[in-house]
Order: sequence, then structure tokens, then C-alpha cells
Amino acid sequence: MTTSDPTKLKMTKEFGLPTIAFCVARVPNSGRLIFGSSDFKLYEFDALAEKPQPVAFNGEGHQSYVTGVVLCAPNIAVSGSYDGKLIWWDLEKREPIRTVSAHELWIRRLAVSPDGKTIASVSDDMQCKLWNAETGEMLRQFSDHKPMTPHDFPSMLYAVTFSPDGKFVATGDKVGHVAIWETNSGAKVATVEAPTLYTWDPRQRRHSIGGIRSLAFSPDSKLLAVGGTGQIGNIDHLEASARTEIFDWQAGQRVKEIVNDKFKGLVEHHVFDPSGQWIVSSGGDNGGFVSFHNVETGKTLHQDKAPMHVHQFALNEACDTLFAVGHHKIAIFEFKAEAAKPAEAAPATSTN
Amino acid sequence: MNPGSFFCGSADHGVNRRGFLSAAALGTAGTFAADMTQLDLLRHSAWADDVKKKEKRVILLWLAGGASQFETWDPKPGRPTGGPFRAIQTASSGVQISELMPKMAARMQTTAIIRSLNTKNGDHGGGSSLMETGRRKDPGIDYPDLGALCAKELGRIDSAVPDYVSLYSSTEGRRKGTSGFLGARYAPMFLSENMVPENVRRLETISDIDHQDRAALRDLLAKRFAQNRTSDVIGSHTNAYQRVRGLMASEKLFDIEQEPEAMRAKYGPTQFGQQCLIARRLVEAGVPFVKVARAWWDSHGQNFETHRELCADLDHSMAVLLDDLKDRGLLEHTLVLTFGEFGRTPQINPSLGRDHFASAWSASLSGCGVKGGACYGKTDPDGHTVAEGEASAGDLFATILTALGIDPHKEYTLGARPVPLSDFGSKPIKEVLA
Repeated sequence: MTTSDPTKLKMTKEFGLPTIAFCVARVPNSGRLIFGSSDFKLYEFDALAEKPQPVAFNGEGHQSYVTGVVLCAPNIAVSGSYDGKLIWWDLEKREPIRTVSAHELWIRRLAVSPDGKTIASVSDDMQCKLWNAETGEMLRQFSDHKPMTPHDFPSMLYAVTFSPDGKFVATGDKVGHVAIWETNSGAKVATVEAPTLYTWDPRQRRHSIGGIRSLAFSPDSKLLAVGGTGQIGNIDHLEASARTEIFDWQAGQRVKEIVNDKFKGLVEHHVFDPSGQWIVSSGGDNGGFVSFHNVETGKTLHQDKAPMHVHQFALNEACDTLFAVGHHKIAIFEFKAEAAKPAEAAPATSTN
Repeated sequence: MNPGSFFCGSADHGVNRRGFLSAAALGTAGTFAADMTQLDLLRHSAWADDVKKKEKRVILLWLAGGASQFETWDPKPGRPTGGPFRAIQTASSGVQISELMPKMAARMQTTAIIRSLNTKNGDHGGGSSLMETGRRKDPGIDYPDLGALCAKELGRIDSAVPDYVSLYSSTEGRRKGTSGFLGARYAPMFLSENMVPENVRRLETISDIDHQDRAALRDLLAKRFAQNRTSDVIGSHTNAYQRVRGLMASEKLFDIEQEPEAMRAKYGPTQFGQQCLIARRLVEAGVPFVKVARAWWDSHGQNFETHRELCADLDHSMAVLLDDLKDRGLLEHTLVLTFGEFGRTPQINPSLGRDHFASAWSASLSGCGVKGGACYGKTDPDGHTVAEGEASAGDLFATILTALGIDPHKEYTLGARPVPLSDFGSKPIKEVLA
């Protein structure tokens, strides 16, 4: 049972950061956020403390932007970076436990399976790799993503997520190609295409922009939401409407197209609510937004601007509070139903 | 004699000139094509070696829209402004560039970097004009751009090929270039829509003899008209017509299908790569100045994604071009330049973009007259300001001209006014010159 009401969305706190925060994971049943940063560090930030301050992790860390972080055991975080490495961290000591050279090129995102046993990483080497969260051993790797775009430029593999039942992994790339994989076998089971999320300008500026930046399965794992931005006229800017396409991925059919009527830029992250009735998305251009949409109708339930371009967020167990990290800020949004009781709520379906 | 002149008028060079024209004529066989089969004689004949020793050429890779110095020649890894990309060691000891340029890193011994440009104009139009002409606009003088200057200084009067070719295929920021007070004779052959010049073929309804007769008639009438008139415009107009047949013959130089497949594959499938191949064909055939504009680097949003794409294109195309020029013995006579209207801000905006920035940015020079591996100037740790060796657009131009063996302080006379080739007060940067 959730205690949320998207129409009650309001930002309750906002904190400044000296750096850009690209990714976040939340320690269960707390306001403790672990976020990865543009200064190559991992930080802890207790957003519910009286005077929260970011506290940097110690030891030899990453050598570039930290773009993915997940929690895979009560006291373990794993981070991924543009340096191609995965680092396992002891959360209490805030020290590294293990470093693995995971990819040849920049790691774009991490995801963790619902049971916390498997980590997925995606990189511009166009590989998705699954890792044993406990041992750091690579379990398997797969790719259905071409290294070059149809226009002969390097492609990027931006997004990855697990299905709530843990059976599937989805990966999404720059040109709008999505592959869905069976977690245990590594077999590709489906593909869907969202080419509108990729803009190639063949004439004015002769390069591209966009790509699939976010993936999320519905609670029953039947739907897959794919997020990014629409076709852009002037690709110097993120000037198209934020865009989410929802697929019945097993049928290979797009069932809903949600074009944000108020906010432009990228959908950097989105999550279905536990009932599967709505989806929350966040991202931005030079500004940011948080938007709720009805999954069945695609209609906007409620949306508001965020104080910064949001790169990722984490929901609480009750699914009524959203912790967003992004461009030099952390913000907390609440959307609690009136008369909400302290909840023993189901976990959100994805916080990847 | 013009120091860069192909044909100085000497007996030896007169033979060369006749040889060159004969070679072009041999291939006509009913067409005007000075195709590469003939022009490749430059690589094999004895006189070609002499030509190569003396000829100077320029290929300007114009990074339109403003490439980021952080993601190319002046990385700042680990700094708040540095972005996500690493710096990598180049073939020149102590010089590092962005990891987005690995092929150029391996070829840094052919290339010098200037990291300390402060050109003070962060507007596309104003910055472009400044970096095209090497000086600020003057309401009283219409200055020629670098291409026109080089066309005048390096070209030859009776050239069978264009003196200045400019390729700009993208539409954003497209600028044709200007010959300014030098007149139409030195204006660029400007290609925008196609990579092969349009409307240079003789109409099929006109025979070659008819075409020559018409040209002779036009010449006669023009000379009569010019009698007792002193006008630069008339002279420029006449010069342009006198070169028509040579320009008509140059069409095949633009046709990369004339190249072996393996060579085309080296340059790769991108339009910029193909245009770099055209540039090589043109300089090999004697075109003194070729500008290849690669647009559009104006990465206000998603700077890192944009540079991941465009740097890959630049790095590959430039590296292959330098290799190809070197293999043909042309690199020591050909100066390859990269710069645009400005660089990009140290600050990273909320769209992960970088904005316009002209206070501390970079250019590169490769090949002819350049001290390969040199790195001149320094920006502060975050790239906000020039810390050492500040250089202006005029200084860059003075350096380019010096590398080509042209005195940058040489003066044209415009009316009664002396106009130096590079701006008043500009100085060549000796540290990057061979």
C-alpha cells in the first residue's frame, strides 16, 4: 500500500553542492544518500539530518565522473565511472573494498537486481556486463548495440535496468535501440525501437543528440518505459520536449507515448509506482522537472520544476518522497496523501 | 619574385609550367579534365620534386561553432572545469591532449599547439570575422581573409587550378570567406551544396573552339573597355575570366572516386573525412589554400556527447590527412591548421554544455614550417585565463604566415595607406616555428 498522491507534489528541501551529482542510491529506511559526483568522488549525504553535509568517501577512488551507484548488501555500495572501473565500497568505513577494471570505455549507468545479488553495468564499449555483487566476478556480458551510429559516429550505451522480478535486463543506446535479456542465461529475448529519441541533423549542424537515457519496467515486468527527449530542431540545445515511450516489450509494440507538455530536455530517470498506475520521471535541460503521468492514459497527473537538471533520483519505501540529485544540487520532493500514515510500504519497483 | 610562387618566370620553371600544362592537356581527350592521372605526375617527375621543395600550401580545418579546448588540445583532468575525459600522453614528451584525440596524440611530433589564444570576441559573427582575417573589423578597410592572403602570396598568376577553395557543407554558421580589398581574383571557390563545383562544365551545346573564341572576344572587348580606365574592379573582373578554363579543368580534382578504394577507406565514410581527402587532392595539384569547415561544435547542450562524436571525426580525419601528406612528401610543404571562431567555457552549464569562450583557447599547426611537438602558452589550472604567452588572432596569423615563408610585416598599399599582412603589433610565435 502506498501513501502517495502525485497531485500533492512539492519540493520540501534544497541543498547546494559544489559539484554535479550524477547518480544516487538511498540506504533503506533512511535519508542517507550515496551519490556519485563530477569531482570523481562518492559522497554520503543524510538528507534528513538537521544540517546535512556531503561527506566524501576515502581511499583510492575513481579517476573520472562517477555516473552509477547501487547498494547491493546492507553495508556495500558499488560505483561505476567514466574511468571504466567498478569500485566496491564499505559504507560504514567509506573505504574501497575492491576495484575492478570493468569496461574499456566510459561506464554510463549501473543497476542492481531486486535481490541485490547481481549488478549490471553499461558502457560506451557497447557492452552490458553482469557482476556477482558479492565477489566482483563477471558473470556474463552481452551486447546488441552497434558501436557506430548509422551516420558513422561513435554510439553510446546509456541505460540499463532490471525487471522487478529480476528475470530480465534491458539496455538502451544512443540511436534508440533497446534490447531485453534473460538475466540468468544472457539470451536476448526481445528488442524494441524508439528512434524518435535520437536526433541526427544531416544538414545544419551535422552531428547528433539524444539517446535513451532511462529505462524502467512496470511492477508486473510487462511494460518497459524508455525515456529521453524528442526530435530536436537546434541540436545545440536540449530544446525538445521531455519524452517517454512505453512498450509492451514482449509484443514489440509501443503502447503509450508521453510527450511532456511543459518541460523540455531529457528524461534522465523514471520509475513506475508499485501499483503500476503512474510513472514518475525527472530530468531537464538547463532547468529541471519532476513529472507524474498516468500509465494507462499518458495524461499528466502533476508536474513541477526542479531547482536543477536532475540526473537521478531515489524513492523511499512508501513511494511518497523523492530524493533528486543533479546540477550542483540535491532536492527533496514529497507527494504524500493527506492523512498518510507512517508506512510499511512496498519498495519502489526500480531505483536504478 | 614572389617567394611562394609556383612559376617565377625563370627558364627552368617555364619548362615546368609547360610540362604541367601539357600533362593536363594530355588528359583532355575531348574533356577539360585535369584529372589526377595527369596531376599525379607531380609525384613521379623530376620537376615535381623541385615544385614540392618550393611550394607552400595550407589546409585550414575550420572548427565552426567553436570546439572545446578542454576536449581537444588543453585538457584539465580532475579540475572542476575539466569534464570527464582523461588527458593522454602524446608522442611529444610532456605534452598531453584529450583522450578523445588518440590518433593525433600519436602524431604530435608533426604538430604544435598554441594554448594561449585570447581573442576577446565570443560572438559567432565577430569571432569568425576576427579569426578569418586576423584582425578586428575596420570600417574603412575590407580586409581579406587568410585564404585570400595565401592565394595572393602563394598562388600563381596563370594557375590552372583554383587558388582558394572553401568547403562548407553544413548550413549553420556558413560563411563564404572574403578576399576583401584584394578583389575577386582571390575570392574562394566556394562549395556548399556539393563536393564537386557546380556549373564549371562547358555547356554541351558549345564546342571547345567556340568556347575559346568567345573568351577571346570577351577579352578583346574587356581590354577596349579598360583603356583609359584605372579600376581595380575591372582588373579583378578580367583576371577572373582569364582563369575560367583552368577552373573548368579542375572539376575532377574534387572527385574522390578518382582515388583508389583503399585510400578512400582510410579517410573513412564521414563527409569531413571525404572533404579532407579532397583537400589533399587539391593541394597536391597546386591549390595553395583549402579551407574545410567542420560544423557545428556549438555545444551549449551536451558538450561531452557532441565532442565524443566530433572529436572522433576530427581526430581520425586529421590523422589520416597528415599521414597521407607525409607519405606523398607534401607535409613539409603543407601547413595544416585547426581553429574556429573561439573555444568554449570552463564552466559546465546545467545541460552539461559549454558556452562561447574567447579568453583562453587553443589552435594547432601541423607540417610546413612548424616545430612539431611544441606546445606554446599556458592557461591557469581551471582554464579561465591565459597564464603564460598570451597570443592574439594577429599573433596567430603572423605565425602562420612566417611558417609559410611569408613576411607577416610585408605591406600592401591600399590607396596611400600601408596595410601589413598581419595586424599591427602582431608577432610570430617563434616557439612553434621550425
